[in-house]
Amino acid sequence: MPLFVEDPAHLSKSRLKSDLVAHSVALPPGESKKQLYVELHLKHIDRKTCAGFSSDEDDQETQDAAEENREVPDPSGLTDEDLKAALLRHGVKAGPIVASTRALYERKLKKLLQSDGHGQLNGAEKGVLYSDSEEEEETGEEDDAESDSEGEKQPVEQSDQAQQESSQEPDKDAFKDLFPDIKATPTGIYASRRRPIKGAAGRPVQYAYPDTPASPMTLERREVERRLVPIHVQLLVFLILACLLYFIYVCVEDGTLNPFVALLDSLHQGSGSEDGLLLQAKTQDTPALYGQE
Amino acid sequence: MSSTSQKHKDFVAEPMGEKSVMTLAGIGEVLGKRLEEKGFDKAYVVLGQFLVLKKDEELFRDWLKDTCGANVKQQGDCYGCLKEWCDAFL
Repeated sequence: MPLFVEDPAHLSKSRLKSDLVAHSVALPPGESKKQLYVELHLKHIDRKTCAGFSSDEDDQETQDAAEENREVPDPSGLTDEDLKAALLRHGVKAGPIVASTRALYERKLKKLLQSDGHGQLNGAEKGVLYSDSEEEEETGEEDDAESDSEGEKQPVEQSDQAQQESSQEPDKDAFKDLFPDIKATPTGIYASRRRPIKGAAGRPVQYAYPDTPASPMTLERREVERRLVPIHVQLLVFLILACLLYFIYVCVEDGTLNPFVALLDSLHQGSGSEDGLLLQAKTQDTPALYGQE
Repeated sequence: MSSTSQKHKDFVAEPMGEKSVMTLAGIGEVLGKRLEEKGFDKAYVVLGQFLVLKKDEELFRDWLKDTCGANVKQQGDCYGCLKEWCDAFL
C-alpha cells in the first residue's frame, strides 16, 4: 500500500486533506498552507501507520479507522451528551459529566481511542470490522450482564451518532472523489453499516467469535460443565429412586412374612375377640339393649 | 489492603459529619491544603466528587492526582477509605 510509504510532503494538498479527513483529523479552518496539512499528516497519520498497517486492504482499513475515529474528532470539542455517547460506545458508562468530571472523561476517552489504535496495530483490523475492539467486546458482555436499561440506552446514543455523522457528509464526499475505488457509500449507508458493527445486530457476531476458536480442552470442559448441573439432578433422582426401591424391598420382604396378613389377622382376631367380649359383656350387663339390637 | 492505617480506621468508624478533608486517609497536610485551595475543604466535598464519578476507582485516582498531586499510595488510601465509608454508611 503506497499510501503511507510516501512522504506526506510529496503528496498533493487535496490528497493530504483527504487523508486527514479519512483519519478524522480536524482540518484547519478555511484554506491553509500545504505545510500545515503535512504537519497534521505527520502528526496524526504517520504516527499511526509507522507501527503498522501492512495488509493489502489498507484502503478498507483506513476507511474503517476513519469511521472509527470520526466519531470522536476531539473529545474537548464534544458536547457533554456526545462525550457520554462516545464513552458508551467504548463500553464506558460515564457518570454525570459536569464541570468537575468532564476533564477526566475526556482523558479517558482519549486513552480509549489510543488503545483502540493499539488494537489495530496488533493486526486486529478485522476485529474492528466485526467487534470494534476487544475492550468493547468485554464491556458489551458486561453491559448485557447488567441491567437492561443500559442496553436500551445504547440505540438512543447511536442515533445521536448517526446525526453526528450526517453532519460530516461534505468531508466524506471529498474522500469519495479521491478514492473512487473504495466505493464509498452515502452517509446514510455509512451510518447503517456502522451500527451493526457496534450495535445489537453486531452482538451475535461478537458472541459467535469466541466460540469458534475454542480448543478441544475448553470444549471438553464446557461439555463437562454442561453435564454438571444435570448430574446434581441425576443424583437426587437416583437417591430418591434408591430410597423408593429400598422401601419397596423392605415392604416386599416383610410381605413374604405376611406382615399385612398377619397384621390384618391379628387385627381381625383382636377386634373379633374384643367384640365378642364386649358383646358378652353387653349381653350380661344390658340385656335390654342387646335385645333392641 | 491487608493493613489499614489508624487514620483509615478512624475515618471509616463513624459518619464523616463536618470532618476536614485532612481526616481522609492518604490526605495529609500538604494534599489537604491543595484540596482546600481548590474548594474541597471538607471530606464530604471529596466524597461528593467520589460519588459523582460513580465510585470509579480509576477516575477517582485520576482526579485526585490532578487536583492535589497525590501519589499512587495516597490515591489508593483515599479511595479505599471513601469506598469503605460508603459501604458502611451510604
